[in-house]
Parts: sequence; structure tokens; C-alpha cells
Amino acid sequence: MNLEDIIKETKTYYCLECGKCTSLCPVSRYNSNFSPRFMLERALMGFGDELIHDRELFSCLACYACSNLCPSDVDYPVFTQKVRNLASGEGEHGDCAHSGILFSLMRLMSRSDIRQKRLDWLDGCHTSEKSEVLYFAGCAPYFEPVFEDIEVSPVNIARNSIKVLNALGIEPMVLPNERCCGHDLLWTGDVETFKKLAQFNAQMIKESGAKKIVFSCPEGYRTFKIDYPQYVELDCELMHITELLAQNLSSLSFRAKRSNPEVKRVTYHDPCRLGRHLGIYEPPREIIRAIPEIKLTEMEHSGDESICCGTSAWTNCSSYSKQIRVERLHEAKATGAEALVTACPKCQIHFKCAMVDKGTEKCTNIEMKVMDIVTLVADALGDKSSE
Amino acid sequence: MNNSVLVIGGGIAGIQASLDLANMGFKVYLVEKSPSIGGRMAQLDKTFPTNDCAMCILAPKMIEANSHPNIELLTYSEVEKVSGEAGKVKVKVKKKASFVDWSKCTGCSECAKVCPVELNSEFDENLGKRKAIYIPFPQAIPNKYTIDKRSYPPCRVACPAGVNAQGYVALISQGKFKEALEVIRRTMPFAGVCGRVCTHPCEQDCERGQFDEPVAIRNLKRFVADYELRVGREKAVPVERTKEGKVAIIGSGPAGLACAYDLIKEGYAVTVFEALPQAGGLLRYGIPEYRLPKEIVDNDVSYIQELGVEIKINTPVKDLGEIFNQGYKAIFLGAGCQESMKLDIPNEEAKGVVYALDFLKRANSGVKIDLGNQVAVIGGGSVAIDCARVALRLGSKRVHLVCLESRDLTSKDRMLAQDLEIKEAEEEGLIIHPSLGPKRILTENGKVASLETRVCTSVRDEQGKFAPRFAEGPVTTIEADTIIVATGQKPSTVVFKEIEKSPMQTIKVDPITLYTNIDGVFAGGDVVSGPADVIAAITAGKEAAISIDRYLRGINMKEGRPETLKRVKEVSKAGVRPKARHSMPTLELGKRKGFDEVDLGFDEKTAVEEAQRCLNCAVCSECRECEKVCEANAIDYEMQDEYVELNVGAIILASGLGLYDISPLTEYGYGKIKNVITAMEFERLTAASGPTMGELKRSSDGRIPENIAFIQCVGSRDFRNKIYCSSVCCMHATKEAMLAFEHHPGTKSTIFYMDMRAVGKRFQEYIARAKKEYNVTYIRGRPGRIEVNHENDNPIIWHEETTSGEIKSFETELVVLAQAMVPQITKDLAKILGIELDEDGFVKAPDKLLQPLDTTRQGIFACGYVHSPRDIPDSVTQASGAAGRAAEAIAGGK
Repeated sequence: MNLEDIIKETKTYYCLECGKCTSLCPVSRYNSNFSPRFMLERALMGFGDELIHDRELFSCLACYACSNLCPSDVDYPVFTQKVRNLASGEGEHGDCAHSGILFSLMRLMSRSDIRQKRLDWLDGCHTSEKSEVLYFAGCAPYFEPVFEDIEVSPVNIARNSIKVLNALGIEPMVLPNERCCGHDLLWTGDVETFKKLAQFNAQMIKESGAKKIVFSCPEGYRTFKIDYPQYVELDCELMHITELLAQNLSSLSFRAKRSNPEVKRVTYHDPCRLGRHLGIYEPPREIIRAIPEIKLTEMEHSGDESICCGTSAWTNCSSYSKQIRVERLHEAKATGAEALVTACPKCQIHFKCAMVDKGTEKCTNIEMKVMDIVTLVADALGDKSSE
Repeated sequence: MNNSVLVIGGGIAGIQASLDLANMGFKVYLVEKSPSIGGRMAQLDKTFPTNDCAMCILAPKMIEANSHPNIELLTYSEVEKVSGEAGKVKVKVKKKASFVDWSKCTGCSECAKVCPVELNSEFDENLGKRKAIYIPFPQAIPNKYTIDKRSYPPCRVACPAGVNAQGYVALISQGKFKEALEVIRRTMPFAGVCGRVCTHPCEQDCERGQFDEPVAIRNLKRFVADYELRVGREKAVPVERTKEGKVAIIGSGPAGLACAYDLIKEGYAVTVFEALPQAGGLLRYGIPEYRLPKEIVDNDVSYIQELGVEIKINTPVKDLGEIFNQGYKAIFLGAGCQESMKLDIPNEEAKGVVYALDFLKRANSGVKIDLGNQVAVIGGGSVAIDCARVALRLGSKRVHLVCLESRDLTSKDRMLAQDLEIKEAEEEGLIIHPSLGPKRILTENGKVASLETRVCTSVRDEQGKFAPRFAEGPVTTIEADTIIVATGQKPSTVVFKEIEKSPMQTIKVDPITLYTNIDGVFAGGDVVSGPADVIAAITAGKEAAISIDRYLRGINMKEGRPETLKRVKEVSKAGVRPKARHSMPTLELGKRKGFDEVDLGFDEKTAVEEAQRCLNCAVCSECRECEKVCEANAIDYEMQDEYVELNVGAIILASGLGLYDISPLTEYGYGKIKNVITAMEFERLTAASGPTMGELKRSSDGRIPENIAFIQCVGSRDFRNKIYCSSVCCMHATKEAMLAFEHHPGTKSTIFYMDMRAVGKRFQEYIARAKKEYNVTYIRGRPGRIEVNHENDNPIIWHEETTSGEIKSFETELVVLAQAMVPQITKDLAKILGIELDEDGFVKAPDKLLQPLDTTRQGIFACGYVHSPRDIPDSVTQASGAAGRAAEAIAGGK
């Protein structure tokens, strides 16, 4: 795909260069070198080379704040995704965080002969070898050691997800050799590796006989739902766990006493992939409202106006992204809530990181409990094994 | 070929087209749906590019259209049907009822001064107020008033007797208490009684309850009744007898007196026969004084008597034939329920068992009663609660209430008494034993000693029928010196054997006419329904009065009955601020010893404030105050929509523009951020006739802004909203920036634009002048987010200056949004006219280049904004063009 095709596919030629995107962009707010409008303008004016070699090409968070309100309906995030693929071919890449370990893991998983030991965390969960429902655990087991120091436990989210499914009477399959969904590779330009991962996953899922896949990670969900169909065939119903829970609220019985009784008021942060990418705003809120003695308060920006957690695809994590997170945490704090609840492990990682790594920017110390929605639900249901 | 033309829309385009055709000698019908012609232009302060006063230019044209001999104005009218073909078109026009006879109205405005209902003025973009009877703006043409009346308010629909609650509440809100009482008495005579004991179905349905809490309608009714007692009532003027036929009413309870009241007002001679020494029935002998003092009953009854109703006390009626023999032509039986139901349990005949009605009658007559220290009342309804509270007041130490029903007021088996009276009784010390049924009475020496009970598991069956079920289980025994049985009443068994009755002794009647099996005899109230509430009895009395009137005049009694009032569909709650309902002050618990009234009533201030909570659901409240002051006698509440048939040769559509709803564009914070307004609102703020008399004040603090930002293309040129350019916004923003400067020299304006579309004659110069002389700066860039500086309520605009690529936040004092404009034509009207619209809703031309003013139907032409986005000069030009095309169509070729 060349630049011209990208312009056509993303309707960039409709751009009126009004700059609404830039004024909405959470990155541009702090990073004055980044202007989505200017990116598009260069594509349209024939300065493709300049665009491909621009450092800021990798600054976009693909949060969809811009396209969500673009008067010309230009798909800027997909424009970025595709141009990054061109850039990648020219040897360009963004600044990779965490010393690249996460990308190494993704690429390792694209090898056919790899044998993973990724199910050790399943203790206390009821799963089955053969079930119509598959739980896609995603990268949680690999994140676990990397983010231990900032006290994020993605495996806990996975475990709680299965517990919650169990509470609904579902004993899902979990694939022992599941691969990375490829989201981060796709969004940083490595389409080749992404394709391999997609094919492995599609093949395995087909063989497993699963009819429905449940995700707790919005990135995996978005990738399966929107990106996979362009590369592989997969005939399964896809659902985020919040959708499934919201549909079955009546079959959940919440305990009067939660294991987190100090959390009474929470605010919900919409992950971009779940919210603006897929339009899922209400199910998580319905779930929170259904939990006894929990009050949901909204932040100044919520729903489709929600602000991104500041980083995407472990790329171009910078002082700007830190400022975005701090801004968001301030909004959350201002609601008076005891906890910020989200539905994406990466959002949680980014918020916790912003609180641990104080940095040198003028970020006031901010302390706030951050938790995943499935953990909140699991706590309210109570751990059956401990009863 | 017909030589006349129909023009739809009374804005500047419609006026121009009409005048052109009229001057050519054609007859023109100008139809406008609002009460005045003038359209959008009338709302504008100034017009570009000359900055002339809009009204100064428009008004002479409006007057000319009004006075032109060839133009017939049909304002407040809508086209309903179009048939035929070009040259011979039949048009059906609905002239909406204005409820004011415009041939009499002089536009003096006295009516609006007394109208108690105020609502947002559409003409002032909801920034100002208007009355329910109104002209849209001072220069309106025709200068005639219109009453905005929208079906019936939910309170009035909910009231079985149809009492006009919105009417009296509206008057109370204006301090017109006497007039409010008049409104109540228009429907029924019991303001004081119902203000105290009504079960107020009006409040259950009150629309305010959907917002926060219902208006305290009953307490307001009581307030005006009390007000009359306090200031003193002038004797009522007796009603003249105009109708033949005397009517006899048997029983002076609420049903009988309501019937008597309506009949005397109809002009009949009415006599009420009452067996007891005083009139009022259960109002006097059943309801205790701490709830309904005697002087209140006296006042309502004497009002009825003063009108001319004769009440014969101590006159029991034994024989209906005798009444007819006395010359009465019709009888209404409102004898009520006189007999208490028995329990049918062992030892019921023991000394110390009394029945509720006897007990209350004796207590209400002032007879001294000794109940002993312990009393058990059996029953869960209002009568039982009344008995219990009377017992407490008579000095009994422990009063128990035993009922089958549940104390849980949300249960389907709940106690039938009202929530508040249960609460008050408990406060006073009543001990309630719910879900228990009486099993037997235990006696000592032939006198009551205690009551043995059993557990009741359910009261009603699936169909809701009374069918109590009991469980074997623990027996609760309640010690009692007296047992008061309050388990229901039924009509007296002895009288009027010839009348057909049910097994429960109630009289059988036709449900609509209340006619009994005996010629000339009607019945209603408890004697028909069994024990029910006061308002039901009043309703029955009123219905019987209608039947009796028709019976005596020999008219069909059933036709058009029962009359159902159409409830208003939508009630706007825009701009309503939450305000709690005022609660009724009550007598301190310690002072509730004697029979002093427990509820103390509202004071004037509380009543007015409470009345102001009313949402005026139906807009006009039918209080009829305007009718009183209109010297021209122009008010006509009975006016109906009228239909006229027009024969025309051609039609010109000039229905103008509407404003696009920009509330979904939340990024601009309209409706949420205080100092963000629309351009049309700005016009009303700078207009001298506007709600601020031309002071450009911002809403948050009333300050005059020195720094104003205009955001263009809000909803226009936007795939998600309106894809087209609204065409006039670049210029009107520039004009408004100039106006701000002219109002307050030095004012700085910043216009955020996409492209400067200054394509008219001398428009470019206009913009240059704005920059040079009016301190206007233009920034290219479409803002994406507006935040607020919470210290001063200033909006902060985030934008990218696309000419430099700089990303900035810009604090300003006022933001004016260039709201997109839309063609004002509904799909229904397009269908009526049989014309096609384009994808944006504008009128479609068969050939955009060579027949631009034609529509897809021959003989129908279009001009102005409904045709395509354009400014005033272009609309006027098009109007003349369309007039030419219409003239050609009807005059050409023949």
C-alpha cells in the first residue's frame, strides 16, 4: 500500500485542514511539535518522505479523540498505522519503552516452534479442556514480572476474569500456546510479524472448536474484531468481558461484604480501544452501578470525551505522555472517588507508573487506587474458595 | 385557471413574493404558522452589510403586506392538504384556534398583564419571558393576542371531578388568592373540605413529580379556602332560577351537595333532604375535627345554601313517591353508607364492642364517651385510623389497631389508609398490629376483656379481590376495654325497597348516567359504590347533575359521555431548577390532646413559593382572568380550529430556516458552559427590544464582556452534522463583532473561521472594515475543545492556528457559536405539497441551473432559505423571481 492508497482508504483527501484534530489531541496539548493536521497536510501536499521520516509519526496514541469529532470523517489513527508501516520499511521506528523486552516477547511468539508455559497462574480457577467459550488471556502472564515493581498484576486480572466467568457458570478454555494478538506490532508498523501471530491464533482457535471468545483486554478485542478480519478467517462470536457481564447481571449474586470495603465511590476510565474504537461505554457502567454500596461518579471527560491513558504500543513514552496521565489522574481525583476503575491492563500500568515514577516535571504527588473492573466485580462476588 | 396564489411562510421572502404578486394584481393568500408574520429577520438586531436596523426595514414591508387589498393574511395557520393540479389547486388550511376573537381584539395587552402563566419566549430564543396569552413581539402583525393552550394538564385530567388545579395554582403563584378560589368553585363547592381530606390523585400525576417532587396541590387548595375564612367572605349571590323542574336531593353528604351545587348553578330549584340535625353527611359526622374542623364544613355548606339550595334538616325521607307528589321532577339519592359491617366472630355482642360510624358520629356530636384505658380498633382504612386517633384524644392510654393488611406500604396487601395519616397516628402513639385478623372476643362478666387474633398471610387474591387467608400459628391476644370495629360500611338496608340493589345493599345504576331502575331517580356516592373517598362522591354528584339536567330537558343522557380530557403530551422542563416541595406544618405532638386541627396550613409566602413550582403543563391554565379584563370581549375559550378551502393557481413555498440542534456537539459546551451562546441569542441580547433591552450581558455574572470569541461552522461543513455551508455565518459573526464594538467601544473580538466566505457585493470591504475599525481579529482554525476557567467562568478555547501551526489555548469572556441553519420544512409538509427534498432537506429543483426556483411539482415554486442557504438580499431576489414564475404559470399562455 502506497501513500496514495492510504489517503484514499482513510478519506484523507476530505481534510479541510481546520485543525480541530490538533486542538483535540491529548499529545498536541503538551507536545507542540505534534500536529495531526500537519501530518495529513504533508501527505496531501506530496511531502510523503518528510512525513515518513518525522520522529513525531510515532507519537500518535491512536486514541481516536480526533477522528471521533473530525468534521471530514478522516480516519487519522488508521492513516498513522499504515504510514508507520511504510516508515518501518524505510527503517524508521518509534522510541521503544522497557528496553524492548515486550517487543522481543511478541516477536518470539511469532515463531512456530516456540513452547510456552503460560498457564501456571490458573490455580483456583475452573477451566475446561473443551468448551464453547474461550478466554483469551493475552499478554498478561508476560507482563507480570515486568511490572512487578509498580505493583500491577495483570495475571490477577486474568484470574479474576475466569473467576467471574465461573460465577456465571462458565468454565472456559484457555489455550496453552496462545500467541500475542499482535496489536502493538500492527500499530508500530510491523505488519509482517502481526500477520504471523494472527495466523497462529486463528489456526489454534479453529482447532479448539471455540464458538465464543471472551477478552478482558480491550486491545486484543479490538485487534480480533477490527484487524484480524483483514488478514485471517475466524468464525467466532467476540465479546469483551464487560459486555458479557452486563448481559448477565441478574445471574450474579453480590455479597453484602466486599473484600474492598474502603472503596465506596469509584470513577470509570474508558480505555480508548473499548470506548471510541468499539463504542462500548455503557456495559462497564451498568456493572459498576449494580454492585452494592458502590457509587459511580464521572470525570469531567468521560465516555466518548474520555482522555487517553497517555501511551500506546510501548512507544514514544515521554514526558508528554506523563503529563497526559497526570492530567487524567487529577480529573479522577477531583471526582472524590477512592478508586479509578478501568477495563484495560495497560491503562492500569500507565496510571500506576505515573504515580510511582515522580519524574522531574511539575507533577504534584497524586495517590489513587487503580483497579480493573473484573477485580472490582470479583471482590464483590467474593472468593468462593476462601468462604 | 385560478388567478390567485398561496404563499407559505410569512418571513421576508414570503412577504416579498406576496407583495410582488399583489402589485401585479393577483390575489394572494399568505399563510404563516406562527401568530405573526416577520420570520427570522424580525429576530435580528441589525443586517449586514449595511448594519441597518432589521426591524426598521422589515416593519414597513409587514405593514404593507397586512394592508394590501390583494393580500389575505392567514397567520397561526397551517396547510393541511393540497390537491388538484397546476392552475387549479385546492388547498385546505387549518386556522389554529387562537382563543381570541381577532375581529374584536385591539391588541391593548391588558390580558397579558393579568395572565399568571409565564414561559420562555421563543422569539427571544428562550432568554426572555412571555405570557400564555401573548403577541410574539411588540411589532407583531397582526397585532392580535393568541392564547397558547395545549390540551389539559395532568392534574386536571387526574382529578375525577375535573377540578382545574393548574388554574388555581397559577393564580396563587401571583398572589391572587380570591381568584384562585373562584376557579375551584367553578367546578365544585368544597375547597375547604377537599383542601384537607382529598386523596389528591392530582398530585400522583403531577408532572413536577417526574422532575423532583409533585406540587403540594391539596395544601394550596386549603390555603385559599383558609384565606377566605381569614379575610371574610362576602355572601354569595343567589343564582337566578331559569330552568323548569324542581330537583330533590336525598342526603347532604359530598355527593348530594355537589349535585345540588351543579344543578342550582344550571338554574334549577334544588331541595336537599337531610335526616340528621345538620348538613354535611360524613364530612360532619364521620371525619373527626382534628382533620376537618366543623367551621370548614359550615363555610362550604353555607356557600351552597347562599346560592339558593334549600336544605331541610331533620327530614328523613321514607318514600320516594311522596317526594314526587310534592312536585319534584327528579331525585338524586346520595344517602351514603350508614351501617357498619359486622365481624361475625364470637362474643361480638359483648358490652364494649362499638362500631366505627356510631362511634365517630357520637364523638363528632360532642357526646362524652368513656372508652377505658385500652382500646383495640379493627380495620386498616382511613376510618379505622380516624377511630384510633379519636380514641387517643378521648384519653385512652393504649390504643391498638389490628388489621389484616401489611404495614409495608409498598406491598400489594398494604393498609388502605393514606401514608401520612398512618405516620401521624403512629407519632401520636397508636400501636399497629398488621397482618392479623380478629378470631374471637374474650369477655369477663359479659364485658370485653381482650381480642384474640390469628395471622393473616394474604389479603387479596390474584385478581385483587378481597379473600383473606390465615395461617395456623401463634395466637396474639390484645387486652382491651373497648373494641371499635372499623371494617367497612354499607348502605342502610331498610329504605327504598323498590330500588334495585346488589347483594351488598348498594344501589344498582347505569355506570354512565347513574340512572336507577326507577324513572326520575338517580343515585351516586357511597350508596352506589360502597365506601369510597370524598372526591369520588363529588364526582358522582356532578355526573348525576349532568344526567338530571339532560333528563329534565329531555335530551339523550348518554351522548358524549363520559367526557375524557386529553392530557398534554410533552411538558418542557428546560431551565427548571430543582426546588423541594414545601411540607405541611403540623401541630406539635404534645399539643395534640383535644380536637385541634393537626395540619396548620401554609402561610402566604409558602403558598406562593409552592405554587411557583408548578410547571404550567398545559401553558394556558384557563384561570379566565384575561376574560375578566378584556373590554372588547374577545376571549373565547371554546374556540375550535377552523378549516378553510382555498382555490389557487400556484403555490410559493417560503418557509424559511430553522436552527440546527447543536447540543450533540458537546465539545463546544453549549448548554453546559455558561458563557457560550448562539449567534441568534447574541442578536436578541444586542437588540433594543430584547430581553436585556440591548445590553450585551453575559449570563454568569451579568458583566459586559470586553473580549468575545466567535466560533464558525458549528454543525456546518461537518460530515457528522450538516455537510453544507450555512452561507451567512462568516458575515453575521463579523456583523455581531461590529455590534459588540458599537455597544462598547474597545471590545475585542476574535473570529475562529475555516474559510472566510465573503462573496457578496462589498462583503470583502466589510471584513476589512471590521479588522481596521472594529478591533476584530480573524484566526483560521476550528477549535476542538472548550474548557472553563472556574475562577471567572471564562471559556478557554483550544485551537490550532493553522496558518502558523501553533497550538494554543485562548481565554475569552464570551463565546458565540455560529449555529448551523437548516431548511424549515417538515417531511409532512413536503408530502402534503407533493414536492421532493434533497439529501440535506432543502427543496429540490428539477433543474438547478435553468429552473432553480421550481420544485419537482408543477405550479409550486420555492424561495429563501428553504430553497438553499442564503442571506436576506438573495432571499428577497429569489422571492421576486418566484413571484414572476408563479405569475407566469397562472397568467401565461391563457
